[in-house]
Amino acid sequence: MSAKANHYDVIRKPLITEKATMASEDGAVVFEVAIDSNKPMIKEAVEALFGVKVKAVNTTITKGKTKRFRGQIGRRKDVKKAYVTLEEGNTIDVSTGL
Amino acid sequence: MQVTETLNEGLKRAYSITISAAELENKVNEKLTEAQPDIEMKGFRKGKVPMALLKKQYGQKLLGESMEEVIDAAMGDHFEKSGDRPAMQPDVKMVDGETWKEGDDVNVEMSYEALPAIPEVDLKSIKLEKLEVKADDASIDEALANLAETAQDFDDRKKGTKSKDGDQITFDFLGRVDGEAFDGGTAEDYPLVLGSNSFIPGFEDQLVGVKAGDEIDVKVTFPAEYQAENLAGKDAVFSCVIKAVKKPVAAKIDDELAKKFGAEDLAGFKTQIGERLEEEYAGAGRAVMKRGLLDALDKLVSFDLPPSLVEAEAGQIAHQLWHEDNPEVEGHDHPEIETTDEHKTLANRRVKLGLLLAELGQKAEVEVTDAEMTQAIMNQARQYPGQEREFFEFVQKNQQMQQQMRAPMFEDKVVDYVFELATVTDKEISKEDLEKAVEALDKE
Repeated sequence: MSAKANHYDVIRKPLITEKATMASEDGAVVFEVAIDSNKPMIKEAVEALFGVKVKAVNTTITKGKTKRFRGQIGRRKDVKKAYVTLEEGNTIDVSTGL
Repeated sequence: MQVTETLNEGLKRAYSITISAAELENKVNEKLTEAQPDIEMKGFRKGKVPMALLKKQYGQKLLGESMEEVIDAAMGDHFEKSGDRPAMQPDVKMVDGETWKEGDDVNVEMSYEALPAIPEVDLKSIKLEKLEVKADDASIDEALANLAETAQDFDDRKKGTKSKDGDQITFDFLGRVDGEAFDGGTAEDYPLVLGSNSFIPGFEDQLVGVKAGDEIDVKVTFPAEYQAENLAGKDAVFSCVIKAVKKPVAAKIDDELAKKFGAEDLAGFKTQIGERLEEEYAGAGRAVMKRGLLDALDKLVSFDLPPSLVEAEAGQIAHQLWHEDNPEVEGHDHPEIETTDEHKTLANRRVKLGLLLAELGQKAEVEVTDAEMTQAIMNQARQYPGQEREFFEFVQKNQQMQQQMRAPMFEDKVVDYVFELATVTDKEISKEDLEKAVEALDKE
């Protein structure tokens, strides 16, 4: 499957955190993804962009914090994260970039 | 790590050091493990950054550092094992510097000149003459006369005698610019030595040839760069009333003069001068003896000298001499100076004696203590009145400066030490002979 332009819109960036490192031990990679994407879209995009087989995708939405700025109440944007588990034998080096 | 000798010729040494990739990596890992607990990174709690990530982030930077350290350690090891002491900083270069990449073994070529082994010197066999000069009455009197001249008095001239250059006149004056008196332009009974240039140019000249009781107007122009701005460049008229004209007289050598110099009476002053003279002679005698010692040492021992040191020294001598010959060139932007054979012989001697003295000092554990160092710095600081503090701090912060001051002190102490061991015979000579000996020193 070749990469298409909209694939790049789905996946924003890889997340490199302590939790992500822990997940990588089970063959999973964590990405920040577009808020309006769904699991099949994410699976397609990861397979196309990194050339790997995806076993499963779990997503979660982290709600943005409510913040005050000069007394006005504002809200930070929500972020969707995807925990992408790869089929055995597949790896993604997240720290090198696309 | 492997060290192989590639050159061993005279004092020249060259080695090739091979450091395996694994060794280098170990070093990097070691460094990372050490630093890990203190690293903070976004997304991780402090000290929880995984090793793999750290290596990716900081590995490159640490690699260079580790390489340097490993090579340094290898060199240090080598010097310890072989007992060689390099004459200068060893020349180190990587064999495949351009093409080297991570994971390769590191090949380093190191070359240096070893300091020669310095043979034992039997210091007792050195025979020296200590020149001693007693300050005799004649030279004390001479010194006294010299002092008296500097402390000249002035005596009244006969009435009506005209003043001459060098005379002291006492006079009142009132200065006016444009008919107005100005600040600092008046004085009464002012003693002025003609020709002493203590007044503005032209003033003293016009007072030559006056008599006591004269009243004259002195017309002068203040110089353009006069310190008082309102007067600079203006014409001024000074009306002067001459009160007395005095001629210079050499001070009489008596108790009065002695008191002027802070002594009790003339006899005491004479002993003081005698002591000072003898101190001076002792200093000169020591210089002669030191030269004798250095000559003796020079003859006594011989060993190979590291050519790079000799060349550096010869270059420096040539450079210095060139500057003395061409005082008009202040900077260092002149062509390369050729060293001649003469410079080289001199350099040879200096390097040899320098090495020898350093070795002797080290063996005898001669050291310049901090207290002595501080003393020396204080002495130097006194040359900069008002800025002693700054100078003191400057020296304390400046390693090179300290080194520069420490070196001659060390040399002196070593020389003292050798004097103690060597066979020294006292020899009393006359002042003239000592002077000749000192002159002979200066000629070389």
